[in-house]
Amino acid sequence: MTSNSRRVGLIVPSSNVTVETELPRLLRRVDGVEFSFHASRMRMHAVTPEQLRAMNAQRERCVLEIGDAQTDVLLYACLVAVMAMGAGEHRDAELRIAEQLALGGSDTKVLSSAGALVRALTDLAAKRVALVMPYTEPVARTVVEYLEAEGFTITGWRALGVADNTEVGCIPGEAVLAAARELDLSDSDALVISCCVQMPSLDLVQPAEEEFGLPVLSAATAGAYSILRALGLPVDLPGAGSLLRTDANVQV
Amino acid sequence: MTDKPVHRVRGVDHAAFPTFDPAATVRFYRDVLKFPIVHSICAAGWGPERHPDFIHFFFDIGGGDRLAFFYYFGWEPAGDQSAPGDAWARLPHGTPKFFADSRHLAINVEDEEDLLEYRRRLDESEWPVEMQVMHETIESIYTHDPNGYMVEITRALRPVTPQEDLDAELTLQALCDVVAGEAPSMDQLLTRKAELIVERAASWEPAGKELV
Amino acid sequence: MARFYVLDVPENVGVVDVARQDDHNTVDRIGPYFRITAPETIVIDRRSTGCRHAVWYSAVAGLEGSVIVQHDKNALRVERRADG
Repeated sequence: MTSNSRRVGLIVPSSNVTVETELPRLLRRVDGVEFSFHASRMRMHAVTPEQLRAMNAQRERCVLEIGDAQTDVLLYACLVAVMAMGAGEHRDAELRIAEQLALGGSDTKVLSSAGALVRALTDLAAKRVALVMPYTEPVARTVVEYLEAEGFTITGWRALGVADNTEVGCIPGEAVLAAARELDLSDSDALVISCCVQMPSLDLVQPAEEEFGLPVLSAATAGAYSILRALGLPVDLPGAGSLLRTDANVQV
Repeated sequence: MTDKPVHRVRGVDHAAFPTFDPAATVRFYRDVLKFPIVHSICAAGWGPERHPDFIHFFFDIGGGDRLAFFYYFGWEPAGDQSAPGDAWARLPHGTPKFFADSRHLAINVEDEEDLLEYRRRLDESEWPVEMQVMHETIESIYTHDPNGYMVEITRALRPVTPQEDLDAELTLQALCDVVAGEAPSMDQLLTRKAELIVERAASWEPAGKELV
Repeated sequence: MARFYVLDVPENVGVVDVARQDDHNTVDRIGPYFRITAPETIVIDRRSTGCRHAVWYSAVAGLEGSVIVQHDKNALRVERRADG
């Protein structure tokens, strides 16, 4: 590994294909640093509370696999799996993974997409937030309650009602944008255009930000943001919303 | 400036030991003693020491304290397994029992009823109580766990009195003084301790921590 | 002069009581300790004290100008130290 290369470990639901598509597309835009991506998968087909709990039980095995790859950072990339476990769970999940890695002598930095979203919204100073999600209504309510427990006010949300995770990966961008347009954003500080790492949304972030005139982020852009912060790299990527331009005026 | 006291620690978080027999260890602590399993970690050697895959697991020993074990896959115990000692280390043949057992874990129970309950649990198991002893101020039962570690379960017969803290302080000061010299002995310690008693005990007051 | 100290805790009461019964001995206190003094020799019979073993063998807290010449299941014998 050279000084300008970084390894990113990902733990993803087995049916997720979007994290491994969108994060490389984003981080490829970082000047002078080459990222490689190393994923481990937890079996999961349907985003139901039962399957989400079953998936979390596979976490330890995935952490072992990523530990072997000695990555610089690890992103536990299923936002709703963590949120379904109850308020504040991302701290506990990150702590457990970090403990497991640290006990084996690894200094990999540990992130979760749930924690990354909370951090991104916090760093944007966004208090009043609108959400677009692929989930069924009960799962979507879990996400809303989780973010409310983190101190955010959810000004509005739309859930597309898709439970099958493979189908989530195929939701067309127009459907996501259409859902966003249904929201009254007049009193919001930010819009999370995809509160899910599987619903494709990267190409929507910049256009939506221009259309709605407020910061727009997604689980993917929040993940990229937290990875850069964890690695101590400047956050200045083009074409993916103002969150990833945070350090644009900072001379490094 | 902080208002916190000098002595800030809050007891045992966990004490950890290696095991080569996790199944018997779980039988002993979880099934016989009924200590709940409260945490486990599966990890591997990712640091400079490329050690084997391992499991780190924890039993609740009350009061928020935990007893932990490491099981390393494929790791073999070192030394002559017929020699005195435990899973962590073997001692030379002929090492007396008092020395082998000097390093041990003592777990506190509230009263005689509880002590006898743990005695009953152990006596019905593969690891019966080897010894029940009444000390000056405590009563204890002893056995060795499946890893050869001596485990003591103990109850206080009366609370420790303030003068015992002073006595311990003087004993340890005397000990530190005599081990600095040639061939330390109990005789030297008691002589040195008498000097310290004369020096410090007369002005000692039970409530007066400032003198200690 | 033979002299030793015993900490004032309930378990040690027997030792002090037996010491008091011998007219050769003087028993007084220094802080939380009993101080037992005699011109030449102090002898404590273990059985009279009623002490259990662990207590018996840890009862002596200090020796002033004195030496233990016997400390077994029968008796504790403290004498003036020859060089003291």
